[in-house]
Amino acid sequence: MLLVGTKVSHFPSRGVIHGRRQHIPRATFATTRRLDVVKPFLLADIGEGITECQIIQWFVAPGARVEQFDKICEVQSDKASVEITSRFDGIIKKLYYEKDDVAKVGKPLLDIDIQGEIGPEDEAVVAGGEEQPQEKTDKKTTIEEVQVKSETISKHDEGKATIQEQDSSAVGQRGKAATLATPAVRRITKELNVEITDVQGTGKDGRVLKEDVQKFALARQEQGQPSAQAAAAPIPQAIGEDKVMSLTAVQSAMFKTMTRSLSIPHFLYTDTVDFSSLNILRKKANARTTASQQPQAKLSALPFIIKAVSIALSEHPHLNAHLDTSDPSKPKMNHRASHNIGIAVDSPSGLLVPVIRNVQSHSIASIAAEIVRLSTLAQSGKLAPKDFEGATFTVSNVGSIGGGVVSPVIVSPQVAILGVGRARAVPAFGEAGEVVRREECIFSWAADHRVVDGAGVARCADRVRGLLEGLEEMLVNMR
Amino acid sequence: VQSYISRSLDPYLNLSIEHYLLSKSSADSTILFIYKNKPSIVIGRNQNPWQEINLPRLRGVKSGEIAALSGLETIDIVRRRSGGGTVFHDEGNINWSVICPPANFSRDKHAEMVVRALRGLGVGRARVNERHDIVLDQGPDSQKREDVPNKDTHRTPFTVDDQSAPAPLKVSGSAYKLTRMRSLHHATCLLSSPNLKVIPQYLRSPLKKHLTARGVESVSSPVGNIGVDLDSFVGAVETQFEKMYGEKTQMTECGDELLEEPFVKKGYEELKSLDWIYGQTPQFTI
Repeated sequence: MLLVGTKVSHFPSRGVIHGRRQHIPRATFATTRRLDVVKPFLLADIGEGITECQIIQWFVAPGARVEQFDKICEVQSDKASVEITSRFDGIIKKLYYEKDDVAKVGKPLLDIDIQGEIGPEDEAVVAGGEEQPQEKTDKKTTIEEVQVKSETISKHDEGKATIQEQDSSAVGQRGKAATLATPAVRRITKELNVEITDVQGTGKDGRVLKEDVQKFALARQEQGQPSAQAAAAPIPQAIGEDKVMSLTAVQSAMFKTMTRSLSIPHFLYTDTVDFSSLNILRKKANARTTASQQPQAKLSALPFIIKAVSIALSEHPHLNAHLDTSDPSKPKMNHRASHNIGIAVDSPSGLLVPVIRNVQSHSIASIAAEIVRLSTLAQSGKLAPKDFEGATFTVSNVGSIGGGVVSPVIVSPQVAILGVGRARAVPAFGEAGEVVRREECIFSWAADHRVVDGAGVARCADRVRGLLEGLEEMLVNMR
Repeated sequence: VQSYISRSLDPYLNLSIEHYLLSKSSADSTILFIYKNKPSIVIGRNQNPWQEINLPRLRGVKSGEIAALSGLETIDIVRRRSGGGTVFHDEGNINWSVICPPANFSRDKHAEMVVRALRGLGVGRARVNERHDIVLDQGPDSQKREDVPNKDTHRTPFTVDDQSAPAPLKVSGSAYKLTRMRSLHHATCLLSSPNLKVIPQYLRSPLKKHLTARGVESVSSPVGNIGVDLDSFVGAVETQFEKMYGEKTQMTECGDELLEEPFVKKGYEELKSLDWIYGQTPQFTI
């Protein structure tokens, strides 16, 4: 149940009001129809650009029943200690933090089972018949007590009186459970089937008067007609429930990395590469592998692409660089000697980018073997942190799944990235103008326009295309 | 709009009165409360006394092993309900507090009000810094006095942006408590404390480097006195307060008699309890 007794019991208290609220107890009514919605209650922005704060103490525990505006917890950030109050009526289901933990702004603080308003309200007014006489006398007593208190206070010096009188008006202004109204008014609310907390009070201190209730009932009647018609048509319900999922470890890492990439002004350069001759060569090489029954991996297009990129990077070293912005006034490019090419791998836990080191010293076969080795480790979740370090360029072969033109995001501090789409068979024109079948693949290059220009990327991209379309060229330049 | 001044020097009582004003005042009222405490060290809601205070020294003074400087025979340790860091109170330090509706609240608003009061008393070096504290700039008296308009409460003609120049002296530290209905901003103000040299000895804990703690750590600053007398200060702040809210108020005195109010008494007992002062420390390891 609730800790730290700031709340009165659920039954109308006959005691003196210490500025506390009276309310119609919902717990006393049988079988309330509830909208059982468990919602996460997020830690609201407390201003000043503060992103996190520490929980000093909880005022509630799981299972506790809270009302709107009840204190939930106290948090501390820098110089301010802030009281967080509940937005809803409901039952606390789960607390996301313990005392002294650091809570993040915008993240869930707790889960609350919100008590829907529909059922209990109607039943409250009807079933509240027997309760009314009891309540009325209590209300009367308490109202009298408030008045008596105010009178006695006025005999003391002014300073205190101001506090006390304004005390009762504070009660009137507070949450919807503050219902200062005479017994006569309450009788009318019962007769007209009005929930008193819905009515705007125009009396002294926000008290609800007879006229307020009558006006409200009238207005509601006029609204009643169209709403009845609307109710006739079935309201489409959502299938399933909204779910709040926090990010997995891989997603969190991706989130952090890509957030850093937001500062990079990307430009996209795309190119189609004719894979026809490459595919002929691949089929030949793979047939030989199968025939020889050697434990060599079958060659896909990717190892060729990676080797071609490496050859091109030797000629365009500024694309194999790290951008050093540690001194914002003096940005530097670190041209790296090794071509450590990260390959994007789709694993059960999400996107992973392990690195093939020193591609410049690899053969196409050894690159293929590396790809297989890293993918297998990725699928089984066995990649080590050092497998992810030190990439100088990234190739994302989303084409293994699909895609035409893609817009890859550069991983800081690299300055460029290549995304490869799916190779498709397309009609093209041969030399004599005849229609030939070609296999085409779209290469999408993205680069950091702070340090790389379009011409720089275009030349490199063209070199890669030339190498892949005329493999003799690649052979001649192989190291 | 109301204003109060406390006759009492008891830090626990003054903070309890302040809490009472925060909790019980009308939601749309704005209140100024001014009080002075006898020598005491006040830590923030979420701080660690072992980390912030030189407790062995305090104990030494109490037991007579270390000779106390005059007026510092007993120093209370108080944990307040608002956040922020650790400060040393004595009778040369005045505390002011403003409680207002959250809609009208900003962290600098009332610090700026006090800076205007100080400038009105001839303290041209006073300004609000980025941490919402009041500092006295230590820059040299430059010729360009006309350049910085007096209305800007965040710069003075003595402000130097050069890091090598002498740092401004902190004269007032702010802390806040925000509830759903009300916002409280309170701060200290060093007018004429005789203990400036001694304060660091009490606020540097020998345990600090041995502790890893959750909770808020204090940000140390060099301090100085404003050098204005108490009554002038109170009058100037009251004037600025009335000007800001467009209403004249009669500053009402209060004191020990408020202990008869059960809410105040309950808060008072709580602040004095060892469980509150030491037990509310967040987790830490040695």
